[in-house]
Amino acid sequence: MRAGIAAQALRAHRWAFVGPASTQLVAAVVLSATLTVQVSVDGAPELSEMLTAFALIAVYLTILLVGVTMNAAIAQQARDVALLRAVGATPGRIRRAVAVEAAVVAVPAGIAGYLLGLLAGWAWLGTLVDHGLAPAGARFTPEPLLLAPILGILVVTSTVGALIAAVRPARARPAIALADAATRRPRFTAVRLGLGLLLVAGGVTLSVSIADLAADAADDAALFVMLALCVGVGLLGPFVLRSAIAVGRPLLALAGGTGRLAADNVAVLSRALSGALVPLVLAVAFAAVKVAVHSTTTHVTGRTGPAAEAWLDYSGTAVYCLFAAVAAVNTLATVVVGRRRDLALLGLAGATRGRVLAVVVCEAGIVTVTGLVLAAGVAGVTLVPMVHTALGTWTPYVPPSTLAAGVLATAAVVAAGTVLPAALLTRRPPIGQVG
Amino acid sequence: MDDTPVVADGLGRRYGSRLWALREVSLAVPAGQFVAVMGATGSGKSTLLHCLAGLDRPTAGRVRLAGRDITRLREAALTRLRRDRAGFVFQSYNLLSTLTVARNVLLPARLGGPRVGPAALAAMLDAVGLGGLGDRPVGELSGGQRQRVAVARALITRPAVVFADEPTGALDPATGGQVLRLLRAAVERDGMTVVMVSHDPLAAAHSDRLLLLREGRLVGDTRTPDASSISALLAVAA
Repeated sequence: MRAGIAAQALRAHRWAFVGPASTQLVAAVVLSATLTVQVSVDGAPELSEMLTAFALIAVYLTILLVGVTMNAAIAQQARDVALLRAVGATPGRIRRAVAVEAAVVAVPAGIAGYLLGLLAGWAWLGTLVDHGLAPAGARFTPEPLLLAPILGILVVTSTVGALIAAVRPARARPAIALADAATRRPRFTAVRLGLGLLLVAGGVTLSVSIADLAADAADDAALFVMLALCVGVGLLGPFVLRSAIAVGRPLLALAGGTGRLAADNVAVLSRALSGALVPLVLAVAFAAVKVAVHSTTTHVTGRTGPAAEAWLDYSGTAVYCLFAAVAAVNTLATVVVGRRRDLALLGLAGATRGRVLAVVVCEAGIVTVTGLVLAAGVAGVTLVPMVHTALGTWTPYVPPSTLAAGVLATAAVVAAGTVLPAALLTRRPPIGQVG
Repeated sequence: MDDTPVVADGLGRRYGSRLWALREVSLAVPAGQFVAVMGATGSGKSTLLHCLAGLDRPTAGRVRLAGRDITRLREAALTRLRRDRAGFVFQSYNLLSTLTVARNVLLPARLGGPRVGPAALAAMLDAVGLGGLGDRPVGELSGGQRQRVAVARALITRPAVVFADEPTGALDPATGGQVLRLLRAAVERDGMTVVMVSHDPLAAAHSDRLLLLREGRLVGDTRTPDASSISALLAVAA
């Protein structure tokens, strides 16, 4: 097989494929759960329609996220790709090798996800029956044949994502790819700043202007408010993170050298880290809005809304948040893996492993706090006009226990993307990483 | 048809919109010549090597490699030409560290280049002093051994020309000397052509011809003198 040697070389980067594989796993879980429940509740048209919508959203998010994570996975292999290109691998050969790797990765992720999805589907069906959303007689019926379309979707999205991601590295002139990545400087900072401000301003304006709309129309428009704000925040990310550090520096200085080092690191990495802010802020803000709409209604009117409606709303939110969390963890982990040598150098410069990890924990703290503050802002801008229109109050309400759970979940997601990979990477002596 | 291994005519390479890293460089390297390209950091010597080797495309001028004009050659065809007619030794990041010595040396062949039999592989590993180490992962080798693997990989396809970018930059003088003698031997024995970029006068002293670059222009082209005269020339050029 002629693609063999290139594929063999890329296989050395197994870890790079954790990102796409985890995305595919989540996608398979969601698809398997929704489709199995759909088979099980055969004869409940309304629920069936909603489940189809869930599955379609899952496919859409899979295409998007597998593409993004595959891009990062292939970027990590840029130097090996450049060497292979220099000594004689044609662009086509690189593309074939990458496509084969991507297809191979999708299969185990799909099978594991399908099985986990059966478990999730079983639990979910129970709650749907409990809330009267599914017919009481609905029996959980696992359908082995579903594995085929799920694997098909994953293999195709994975391969297509990989091929798109490989276009640039495969075509790049080897001389440029072999040059040190550090010499490439980011550009368009002014354009980015302008676009970010425009989106945030647009989001706020839209939010204020829909405050007078009927509840249904306002609900639909609220999604656009949130999207505009989140993408805007993502574009402003580097500026926001650097401002956050400027504000928080005195506080971080309390943690001594560790805190100062963490602040400096986040400032340098602000551009890469802001890629993780978009999914993080989107997920937290989206969940906050969904929860607050229900809990504020209960809080103000003293009546509980229909539990079934809330449950469906929460189910959908959970799916979105799951994908967003996977995206955030992947982006953060890519940043940490890219810093492998820097972390090793810290070790060589005299930091113990504990100290290195403490720096990473501090960085994770900065990202978490910044993400939460931004998410609170985005959720607030979206919510306040909404609850004012519907309930006449200016203050959304979220139970403290839910708030605490949200903060902990966010911190856990950030830690999973930063502290966990850093802990794994620093297990071996630093000199092996540097040499 | 002209088979001169390397010909450049009015070569220029610009990065971004203003900075010319290379300007108006014309040269020809006949078969069997060992050429050293020297100059200060940023003088354009690596850019010149990359353009001559088809690793980068010039902004102006033309390049012929092994008798073929590569200036407008499509990427896949250019890659095959590089694979079959050129060999490469870089300063660092030369090898795929998870593959064995033998697999690294066989890389061009496995990528579809000229076939290499087991006897030829063994002879090549012996020639570079790595006999019997074929099955070792390159990750376990010393820096000097790795560079000899890279030389073996560059020579095994019997290319028209070997391009070396600071091949001894990361090695001590004794180890670097071994690597340079391997390249010199290929020139003497097989009539190989070598184009080497270096900033080390001791390394350049192994060559037949010395090219000097300053601010992207070719400012010197002489027979290679001894190492101390090279140092003097460099000082003048800088």
